[in-house]
Amino acid sequence: MTPADDFEHWSLRAAIAWREIDEDVTDAELETKLIERLVARDERAFNELVRTYERRVFGLVLRMLNSRAEAEDLTQEVFVQVFKAIGTFRGESKLSTWIYRIAVNLCKNRAKYLRVRHTGEQEPLEELAERLPLSQARHANVAQIERPDEAMAGRQVEAIVRAAIAEVDENFRECLILCDVEELSYEEIAEITELPVGTVKSRIFRARAQLRELVERKLGEKIR
Amino acid sequence: MTNDKDDDPESEAQIRALLKRSLAPEAPARPVLGEVQRKIRQRSKGKFYRDGWSTTQSRVSYALVAGIMLLIVAIAYFVLGPMGITNH
Repeated sequence: MTPADDFEHWSLRAAIAWREIDEDVTDAELETKLIERLVARDERAFNELVRTYERRVFGLVLRMLNSRAEAEDLTQEVFVQVFKAIGTFRGESKLSTWIYRIAVNLCKNRAKYLRVRHTGEQEPLEELAERLPLSQARHANVAQIERPDEAMAGRQVEAIVRAAIAEVDENFRECLILCDVEELSYEEIAEITELPVGTVKSRIFRARAQLRELVERKLGEKIR
Repeated sequence: MTNDKDDDPESEAQIRALLKRSLAPEAPARPVLGEVQRKIRQRSKGKFYRDGWSTTQSRVSYALVAGIMLLIVAIAYFVLGPMGITNH
């Protein structure tokens, strides 16, 4: 069980509410009860659903759009769509998979709209050229860094990776993020993207290759 | 010709590690729930999330508040009502 699954498990238990807690109840049963309440338009159940999934949906959308403002707006839109469409959820997949599918589809539409409007405000990779070497960014994630030079290097690598992800082909990028960031299985990604598993694997492979090339070109050194 | 699907495990691990190191989990700056409730209320023309109880962020339920209020009313009745405590 990944940390995300663990969090989802306990959040689901909280969502079902204290009055119905029973340790023998499985996650699937908890989810079924939550869905029943959602279909019955129980506003409190929906509040719990938003609390449970907001960070994961926001994380996914942020990686897909590479813009905080757009990601915040689209995260809200995902939940509005979930509320509207919950009656059509047939339970053929996990609730989280269904929510991700809505998020991915809305991301695609928003990305297309933004491309037409030319409002992408991504930092060009070239501006990140003055940098410290990757080897100095031992922990890259700035939250884990203590030394200022490491922090600087970490921020630069973070920025380069984010910018590089944004440059990966959109269709490949969604599969890469769902696999390597959200840690979903190939089968779950296939359900979300409505692609065959083989195509998902192929796209992930190509996305990794593209990302590696972009990052290494900008860093001027191999990823280790 | 190499098969696309046969990703080199070492290369895969390197990219995964790079992504993990670089992409720290982030939270939205603005509260999502309040905005979602507002949008649903607007689009449903007030059918959902119409009152303070449904939009409150507090986990205290109205059943609990109603129970406390009943208790206060009962205490007031016994103190001030016909069987009330009087000084003789």
